[in-house]
Amino acid sequence: MVMGFSVEIEQKEQVPIVHISGEIDVYTCPELRSKLVEIIDTGKKNLILDLENIQYIDSTGLGTIAYTARTLEENSGNVMVVCTRHQIKKIFQVSGLEKKNIKLFDNETAALKELT
Amino acid sequence: MSDALSMKLTIPAASEFVGVVRLAISGVATRMNYTIEEIEDIKISISEACTNAIQHAYENSDNINENKIEIEATIFSDRLEIIVQDFGKGFDLGILGTDEQKEKSQEKFGLGLGLTFVKSLMDDTEFSSVPGKGTTIKMSKKAPVTA
Repeated sequence: MVMGFSVEIEQKEQVPIVHISGEIDVYTCPELRSKLVEIIDTGKKNLILDLENIQYIDSTGLGTIAYTARTLEENSGNVMVVCTRHQIKKIFQVSGLEKKNIKLFDNETAALKELT
Repeated sequence: MSDALSMKLTIPAASEFVGVVRLAISGVATRMNYTIEEIEDIKISISEACTNAIQHAYENSDNINENKIEIEATIFSDRLEIIVQDFGKGFDLGILGTDEQKEKSQEKFGLGLGLTFVKSLMDDTEFSSVPGKGTTIKMSKKAPVTA
């Protein structure tokens, strides 16, 4: 029912960058979670989530990001989120997630710079 | 109010239908001339209410054809009112916002913030739940001010 959801992973400077398109909700979250767990299982400390091409995210999507952040935190890792859309930033603020090891950036270059 | 227009949807309690409800309700909100930000608030709120029913109301039953969620959207002159009702096991409303609820939600990779989002993003909310009968979430957003 939700069209065009996709999760693509690329590596830049040893950092996995997860490009997500479409809507992140209770229906699409299991696929996202599975891809994120694959990355966690490789032992990577940090990852970048590119949310520039998502149209929608709710608390189930944020829960998946929070789970990833909690797991990476055990190794002092971080989740760097790239997003510029006001509504997406707003939902991060309402959730209070930004205060933990989840950091928001306006672009991929800035997120990578923070990690390298 | 006699001139209120109402739309009803009944969906199976299955995750693939949440996007359908979101699309339908955003269509109603667009017709009422809400701003893009207000429409996004309404979309998140209706999704959270439906997700709550899918994840919690019928958690011990896989029969999605029997497990229904009813959604009613009513356009009043001063507001859009949405009622989401399930007929599942119900829950103790006192658990909302507690550590126990957050822990239970994290077991399902959630945040425990779904209904908190509804409260934050809508102008008025009312939750009611009866054990063994189900849960009703009523929410409304003030109509846009017209020039």
